[in-house]
Amino acid sequence: MNFEINPLRFRQFIGICIGLILGLLLVVVFGQKSNEKYVSIGPMNVGHEEFSCNTCHADATGNLWQQLQSNLQYSIGLRENSVEFGTIDVKTKKCLVCHDRDNDRHPTHRFLEPKFRDAVKKINTANCNTCHSEHNAKRLTLKKVDYCMHCHEDLSVKNDPLDISHTDLIKNKEWSTCLQCHDFHGNHEYKVPTKLKDTITYKTLRAYFDGGKDPFSPKKKFIALSEKEWIKKYIDNK
Amino acid sequence: MKFLKNLTTTLFILLLAACGGVPEKKESTSTEEMKFSVAQVLEVVSKENDITRTLYTKAIVGAGKKQGLKFDEDWQKEDVEAGPLPALFLRGIANDIRKSETPLGLYLGSDFPINKANKFEGKQAELFTKIKSDRKPQHFYDENQKVYTAMFADVAGAAACVSCHNKHEQTTKTDWKLGDVMGATTWQYPADSLSYATTMEILKAYRNGTKAVYEDYLKEIAAFKTSEKPEIGDKWPSAGGLYLPTPEVFLDSVTELASYETMTVLLK
Repeated sequence: MNFEINPLRFRQFIGICIGLILGLLLVVVFGQKSNEKYVSIGPMNVGHEEFSCNTCHADATGNLWQQLQSNLQYSIGLRENSVEFGTIDVKTKKCLVCHDRDNDRHPTHRFLEPKFRDAVKKINTANCNTCHSEHNAKRLTLKKVDYCMHCHEDLSVKNDPLDISHTDLIKNKEWSTCLQCHDFHGNHEYKVPTKLKDTITYKTLRAYFDGGKDPFSPKKKFIALSEKEWIKKYIDNK
Repeated sequence: MKFLKNLTTTLFILLLAACGGVPEKKESTSTEEMKFSVAQVLEVVSKENDITRTLYTKAIVGAGKKQGLKFDEDWQKEDVEAGPLPALFLRGIANDIRKSETPLGLYLGSDFPINKANKFEGKQAELFTKIKSDRKPQHFYDENQKVYTAMFADVAGAAACVSCHNKHEQTTKTDWKLGDVMGATTWQYPADSLSYATTMEILKAYRNGTKAVYEDYLKEIAAFKTSEKPEIGDKWPSAGGLYLPTPEVFLDSVTELASYETMTVLLK
């Protein structure tokens, strides 16, 4: 290289070299499995603590260079679709690989029915991430738990077993009380009280949603697959 | 000179962009002929569903109840020793289809449902009024989700449908009669025409769902602690005792009953 034309060229060259070395170093260091926690955007939600990045984030098709090329082609109109860069987006179907259960009271696909269109506009319950946003060290990431109102506003219960009727609770917009008896996905073995004062308090529920102890019951009908069980079921048995 | 430099850079970017990259995903790489309209396919699978539900309601729920078997909406709870009610049997099939790669949606609703969350609203309520008057299927395109949607009458085909709904604690209508349009199934699929292979996949997904839910019911029976367990095997549908078919026999019975209508469409 001829640095005599302009001495600044030498400084440019050194700068580029340092940049490349630093870049390479960062890729190597943060690419290590032991350093995944430094790359993560936040601590994993409750129950997911032992997951590695690849449990949810599968590599996108092609290498980074090909993905860059494809997206460049897409941006100048040379191809119909863009491609995912780095890793594939984690969508509901991915969550359901471990969490899908036959006894789910509110399965995500249920909300794809046209009648739920308006409710889904208010809260997209067809998508796990709406309520269980990952990397927050919690169970439920919604701030308010009044979402039952979007579908159950005209509920009435014949021979209502509760001391304060469901009709009155709805009339008074006591929507946070729903979950004090009914867990949304209905997987807990729990004997529902008949007196509102005996139900799980909102404070206890909030603590549970934030990652605390399960106040319903430790007994669950279906337990989500662990990473090991998932590998055994879907990879080893293939 | 500057023009030459810009031209070289542009050519370089174009070259970079034009060569290589991740192969483009096409909607369908198959050259297979699109043989059926989505309406035809949904009508076939809906007929299979009618037959499956009627068989389950009559020969499993209706006959089973006479012999002392129980069916409950909380059938999967630990302390409940019962089987799925017909509506939940359908819900189970819909769940299982969603687990497969087949993007088929199936829902059940009514204007007088037991659970108000299953009451039709909007477009579905409007079309259900037509279905009740002429019992003909209704098709529409759901712009919101970009899926083809069809609704079919769900007729009270067994005495158990009528008696259970009329007597249910939370019922909103107590004078259902045999042959009434009690509700409608809603089906969704994201393509307007389908190949023979895709049509077969849809039928297979539905039948696999039926088998999976029925197997779940047999697993529940195996875990009964206090209730008498029915004998599962050859004796069904004999009325002389507590008998249930194996999943294979149940599915074979559905196949036998549905085959004429299904094959008539498939061989068109």
